[in-house]
Amino acid sequence: MADPDLAALQSDPELATIFLSEAFDHLSSVEANVLTLEAAPDDRKTLNDVFRPFHTIKAAAGALGLASVEALAHRVENLLDRARFGEHRIGAAEIELILASVDLLTSMMRDVESRLAGYPGNDFDDRCAILIVALDRLTESGPADRQVPAAPPQDEIRDPPQGGRKIGLEGGSSQATVKVDTRKLDSLVDLVGELAIVQSMIHQDPHVLGKADERLNRNLAQLHRITSELQRGSIAMRLVPIRQTFQRMSRLVRDLGHKSGKALDLVVSGEDTELDRKVVEEISDPLMHMLRNSVDHGIEDAETRRRAGKPPQGRLSLSAYHEGGHVVIAVSDDGSGLNAEKIHRKAVAQQLVDPGVPLSEPEIHALIFRPGFSTANELTEISGRGIGMDVVRRNVETLRGRIEIQSTSGVGATFIIKLPLTLATIEGLLLSVGTQRFVLPTFAVRESLRPSRDRTHLIPGQGWVVQVREELLPLVRLADLFGIQGAVSNPDEAVVIVLEDHPRHMALMVDQLLGKQEIVIKSLGEALVNITGVAGGAILADGRISLILDARGLMRLKQREAPSYAA
Amino acid sequence: MPREQSAVPAASSTQAFGGKYLTFVLDAEEYAVSVLKVREIIKVMDITSVPQLPPYVKGVINLRGKVIPVVDLRLKFGMAAKDYSERTCIIVVDVAVRNGRTVLMGVVVDSVSDVMNISADELADPPDFGQTADGNCVQALAKIKGTVKILLNLDSMLGADEELVRA
Repeated sequence: MADPDLAALQSDPELATIFLSEAFDHLSSVEANVLTLEAAPDDRKTLNDVFRPFHTIKAAAGALGLASVEALAHRVENLLDRARFGEHRIGAAEIELILASVDLLTSMMRDVESRLAGYPGNDFDDRCAILIVALDRLTESGPADRQVPAAPPQDEIRDPPQGGRKIGLEGGSSQATVKVDTRKLDSLVDLVGELAIVQSMIHQDPHVLGKADERLNRNLAQLHRITSELQRGSIAMRLVPIRQTFQRMSRLVRDLGHKSGKALDLVVSGEDTELDRKVVEEISDPLMHMLRNSVDHGIEDAETRRRAGKPPQGRLSLSAYHEGGHVVIAVSDDGSGLNAEKIHRKAVAQQLVDPGVPLSEPEIHALIFRPGFSTANELTEISGRGIGMDVVRRNVETLRGRIEIQSTSGVGATFIIKLPLTLATIEGLLLSVGTQRFVLPTFAVRESLRPSRDRTHLIPGQGWVVQVREELLPLVRLADLFGIQGAVSNPDEAVVIVLEDHPRHMALMVDQLLGKQEIVIKSLGEALVNITGVAGGAILADGRISLILDARGLMRLKQREAPSYAA
Repeated sequence: MPREQSAVPAASSTQAFGGKYLTFVLDAEEYAVSVLKVREIIKVMDITSVPQLPPYVKGVINLRGKVIPVVDLRLKFGMAAKDYSERTCIIVVDVAVRNGRTVLMGVVVDSVSDVMNISADELADPPDFGQTADGNCVQALAKIKGTVKILLNLDSMLGADEELVRA
């Protein structure tokens, strides 16, 4: 391989490790999906799933100066892109070449890995060139022309020695740290979580509660204390500062500046903010896409900036901080902001929205997260094909976070990613509605009260409001939002919980409060993501599951709903 | 669980489907799923309902610390609901979803009957009803000693159900 520039990777071993492990992940996901594609070559979703990893690898390799990897990934991306838009049908020859590319890219990555560890490298130039020619020919040949291209060379160069690859990456630092397989760490964290559940099951067992034995109680209290501490400790082991990810972004911005010819300045803050290791890993792709997007669509060229009275240097900022039980990562630029009119026009042209339906500005902004949406008039090397923001939203939502846009035309745009502290235990308020129980994280609760009759009012056409001190708050029944039968219907027999969340408060009506509990958040599994108003599940002391409520989601549900008249 | 099973394409030939099957009853019919998909069979337990899901998704259960969704097959097939009894079971299955991944799901059935070998020559393609809402959830029909068992393809029935397995 003739990449002259291994320097970027050599100078930063951590970066190299992250880049390589991500690349391997992406490549193995391609392999699985290509096989699905073979069976159903016209499936858009699978095509997108195969397309995306190549797009990401191309971008990352480009940023790190691995030119031949970038070139090859780019060719495959081109081919798949035509297929995505129905201009090219994926057949046997295409599948062969895609798989050959996956193999070659994997070998090239292994080669980078072993060269970083100090082993001599292999030369992939010829294989790479042959494959690129074949891909180009196939891409251009279009659907009618079905000739099978020259078979990619099969003379495999054996992978370099595998043993002791990591040695070269350690460097000379003598920090007192131990490297542990993350799977071991994860299973430890899981086990501690189970332990905490069993501990609380014992704690609340009627047999134990019935005993007034002092020694037993003392021991139980001790057990509880140790379990909590163990849990905190195990969770802390998974936390890492976001510094490394931010460093990669600095390099990316520098390179984007070179490629786009725009003068850029990146301001970074909050690098020491600690997040779950998994979150730090998974957030880097979205951040990359967002920065590329900001540079490409946000920051204007020097001339336009001067006319607008802005400094010639485009200013990007990247910050991380904790806020009310969330970790917030914000990416902002001082560019032109989102052009709502242009986005809407484009969305109409792409038939993503009905032109007759009026949309609010935030709704229009949200359109950029739709798959296949792009406002760039032509493809650029930097941000490509409007697949970026789709990936961003997906990745953020996989982490059970959400993404918001604040944009002012002419002044700039800010993308705010809010991530929950996954895996963390949270203190929750256990409550009941009908026969069902729910947990509400205590950080979302301002207060709870039992309203007297003269404090609740039925506003015609609007529904109930409750007066809490001087404030009149909309009263929302959880039973209505979730369609639960058999709940208390009279507000003065119920409990009202005032939810703390900006921009405004909301009063949630439930039947009863059952107590406070330390709970482990469990995801509802891969199947049931994106249930609005539900943040996950908690296993209660009796082994049953109760849903964890998400205050923000409940507000969104309420807004979506027509006013309720039920009294 | 072996992955190859999940990669079986839509029913084009019945040849590939011979093997061991778990059979169960729903209403008056007998159904079968490949034992390779089955993780375990449990008694009906408390199901926590989850809002915003189609009625055939009964909710989630705690399977030894794992939270898994549960689907009532009667409701999924549009049959009348029936109260759960002593004989009602939850079959825990591996369902292939997008990206080659699998998720665990529980499937509520009236009762579980048997594990049996079904050979390829006992199988017939399901009759063509044209395009149906449920797609190709029936893999094949097995004719055994004058009875018919319906072989279900859980991957295309549940794994591709976008209301159940959300993006």
